[in-house]
Amino acid sequence: MHKNSRIILAISALALVVTIFVPLWRILMWAPQYPESLSLQIWIDNITGDLRTINALNHYIGMKQIQVSMFPEFAFLKYLVLILTVVGLAGPVFNSRRMVLGWMLLLVLAGAGALVDFYRWGYDYGHNLDPSAPIKVPGMAYQPPILGTKQLLNFTAFSGPDVGGWIFVAVGAITAILLVWEFRFRKI
Amino acid sequence: MRPAIFLLGVFLAAGSCSPDKPSNTEEYPDASGKSAPEANLSDPTKGIGEVKEVKLHSPLEQDRIKRGLSIYEMKCQPCHKLDETRVVGPGWKGVTQRRRPEWIMNMVTNVDVMLEKDTEAQKLLELCLTRMPNQNVSLGDARDVLEFMRSNDGEK
Amino acid sequence: MLIPCALWLAVAGCKPQTPAQVATGDAAAKVYVAPGKYDEFYNFVSGGFNGQMTVYGIPSGRLFKTIPVFSTFPENGYGYSEESKPMLNTSHGFIPWDDLHHPALSTTNGEHDGRWAFGNANNTPRVARIDLKTFTTAEIIELPNSGGNHSSPFITENTEYVVAGTRFSVPVGDNADVPISSYKKNFRGTISFIKVDPSSGRLSINFQLVTPAVDFDLARAGKGPSHGWFFFSCYNTERAYTLLEVNATQKDKDFIMAVNWKKAEEYIAQGQGKKVKARYAHNVMDEKTHMATSEILNEVLELDPVQLKDVVYFIPCPKSPHGCDTDPTGEYIVASGKLAALIPVFSFTKIQQAIAAKDFEGDFAGIPVIKYESALYGEVKKPGLGPLHTEFDDKGNAYTSFFVSSEIVKWNVKSLEVLDRVPTYYSIGHLCVPGGPTRKPHGKYVIAYNKITKDRYLPTGPELTQSAQLYSIDGDKMQLLLDFPTVGEPHYAEAIPASLVMPNSTKIYRIEENQHPYAAKGEKEAKVERKGNEIHIYMTAIRSHLTPDNIEGVRVGDDVYFHVTNLEQDWDVPHGLAVKGAANAEILIMPGETQTLKWKPLTSGVFPFYCTDFCSALHQEMQGYIRVSPAGSNVPLKFSTGKVEPETTTGK
Repeated sequence: MHKNSRIILAISALALVVTIFVPLWRILMWAPQYPESLSLQIWIDNITGDLRTINALNHYIGMKQIQVSMFPEFAFLKYLVLILTVVGLAGPVFNSRRMVLGWMLLLVLAGAGALVDFYRWGYDYGHNLDPSAPIKVPGMAYQPPILGTKQLLNFTAFSGPDVGGWIFVAVGAITAILLVWEFRFRKI
Repeated sequence: MRPAIFLLGVFLAAGSCSPDKPSNTEEYPDASGKSAPEANLSDPTKGIGEVKEVKLHSPLEQDRIKRGLSIYEMKCQPCHKLDETRVVGPGWKGVTQRRRPEWIMNMVTNVDVMLEKDTEAQKLLELCLTRMPNQNVSLGDARDVLEFMRSNDGEK
Repeated sequence: MLIPCALWLAVAGCKPQTPAQVATGDAAAKVYVAPGKYDEFYNFVSGGFNGQMTVYGIPSGRLFKTIPVFSTFPENGYGYSEESKPMLNTSHGFIPWDDLHHPALSTTNGEHDGRWAFGNANNTPRVARIDLKTFTTAEIIELPNSGGNHSSPFITENTEYVVAGTRFSVPVGDNADVPISSYKKNFRGTISFIKVDPSSGRLSINFQLVTPAVDFDLARAGKGPSHGWFFFSCYNTERAYTLLEVNATQKDKDFIMAVNWKKAEEYIAQGQGKKVKARYAHNVMDEKTHMATSEILNEVLELDPVQLKDVVYFIPCPKSPHGCDTDPTGEYIVASGKLAALIPVFSFTKIQQAIAAKDFEGDFAGIPVIKYESALYGEVKKPGLGPLHTEFDDKGNAYTSFFVSSEIVKWNVKSLEVLDRVPTYYSIGHLCVPGGPTRKPHGKYVIAYNKITKDRYLPTGPELTQSAQLYSIDGDKMQLLLDFPTVGEPHYAEAIPASLVMPNSTKIYRIEENQHPYAAKGEKEAKVERKGNEIHIYMTAIRSHLTPDNIEGVRVGDDVYFHVTNLEQDWDVPHGLAVKGAANAEILIMPGETQTLKWKPLTSGVFPFYCTDFCSALHQEMQGYIRVSPAGSNVPLKFSTGKVEPETTTGK
């Protein structure tokens, strides 16, 4: 691989470490009463934001209280990222395109896994409602969107990557571009 | 010199912007239903108001004097003494000799217009510096007060 | 690198648009009332937790007056002056505060007549009558067997009755010391029918309907064809007495309760019903003596609708109905289940048919329950979230407030079609169309009373202003015209054309008619009297002096009463009085009125008093001194005005 490729790939892999310290994902919700929006930030091992307000509102329709203990994933996600980083460094260190390719697949898998996990949680959160909730709207579920915007009763909810998420996206994109470049345009 | 000029200026300014009558009085007529009184053009010494002509009787009507006294005590006494001394307003001694009976009754029943348009009333305001309040005295009551004033001035 | 950028843009693009927050077009011109011009409507707005009623002008949104009703008001001495203290007396003694939720303006033939406004005390159940000539509280009657007087006050078509339903069911009868868990057995709801004397307005409880234990929320009288009936929303048909948030929201349907009060009157005429012991206060302000009196009454007539048939029926209604509003024709009853996703509209004709045909699905605690479908005219589908209250215009349309989705939705009463919706900022509670609850709505505007203002005004710390919003309803589309802040927490409000109220407004109290026992109708009557340890000062006020203004001979331990008569007979010339060190409010005395400030001096000295209302150019001269000597002192009682004594050098 080109020397610059190796440097960029190494930096990319190391950049993943940053995601341990910044929020990965964010959920924003607007309602007529909340024009400034309510927000949730999902971190590698925590969930922050207007939890109290959201929990207070959601109990009317029987949604569970959002709390850290709902996410067992928080216990090991950090190590997963560290492993990803170490594996990511292998390609540039040993100057192996195949290893980089393998790492790329691993990244995609991790991303997909995270989204599936997030969907699974969202489905349960939005569907598994307390039957004794004061407000029951027949046929209504409150599953938050995975990506993009969705109307949930009086709330418009948006879900998308935060800084950490964008780092993942950027690392994935850079790796993909370099791989294409290395395989297609460079002879070894 | 300066203060005098200044005062004169204020006076002129105040004089030139005498208030227009509020345009919406028609929409909200006074509860007593009085029509807007016109000046007694024929005789300015009679003042401005509904009272154009008062018939005085001699000897004095004792009933009126009695009623006039009680109205005086309820509505007039805080400001008008029965001798010549001026407290808030002028003393009443001699008022029936100084003023026409019509002027007195108009001043009592139509004080706001009098203070606005009648030069004699305005002179009194300059002297006393306190606007005489509208005490909601009816025409009949004002006539009784007038009778009491005559008796206070020694008429029989 | 391009991909993330594109993604970012895409994501940023899917942020919802914030609502257009600026009133558009000619809004400013529509609410502009030029200086010196009058507003078109009076708006009587409840003060909520300030316990008062406030008067605004519409369309300008300008605040004119706070009418003190259930809370003391040091600003004018209400609840502090000796004359007004009895107004706040109850069977529990003097209470300085309450929570006023709903004004109701008197009607004749179902149309506004501009005579009185009524208001409810929510906490210690009472109903007040406010005189719209003087804009003062004329009468307050307490309601026994009630707790949380929320379904109140609502009036019949000719103001025959002011009706008040209890929110909390409570133990009724002699023994109220029962376990809370005996709710079903011992607790009952009551609906008080307060008779209004057609000429004087005097209130008296004619009878109380004793109902099964539920919570009553709101109500409206029938009108036109349904005159003689009354409709109440009730929730907690689960009969929960704890954690109502969960336990009282379980059933799919609660009830609208229909009451045939003419039938109840027939039973009373036959001597039915039973008189039971009760303790409640009845307070009346006398306009001639300017004094309130409080009387404790001991008896109330009870009617049991389980025994007396054909008076009360239940109609199932989805999910905790809140507002229960009859349309101007009197045929349609709109019930808003605050947790429901639709609005049922009931038909009075169909209710009558169902009753005649005994089309019942069963009974609830002995009261027949009419089948939902048999009473239903139709449902407004998908109107919004959290419907609360409905008002009507003069064109057959209804306006319903939605708390959760924070909007007003306009729909047609006949077709049940949603015609328009407009956001409110934020979380609207009640709404008001001028004349909206009457047979002849005046239309033109709808006013939203919001629960949250948040970012609408300059922030003022944690507690923000409350607000109302004015919308034009002249056109097909509702148009936001104005935000205006309100005091207290506005719940319901009514608006009435100025022409129905303004010409009757009292300007002065005639001094000749003042029958206050301590009035000084003229300076000649001004005096100071000692009765034991009471000092009564008969004081007069006129521009610009108080008589007497020098008083001596008062001793520590005396109760000093300043009875001040305002001798003015001109509009808008109140005088006030305040005394240094008095543990009391000021009194504000209208022309021709007498008011009394009580003061118990605790120390000796010379205490200044003065007029508090800027009355004239010499207002700052309107003052006096009262000398207080130690207890047991023999300083003689004397008083004067304008008397200058030879300089005294004794003492100090």
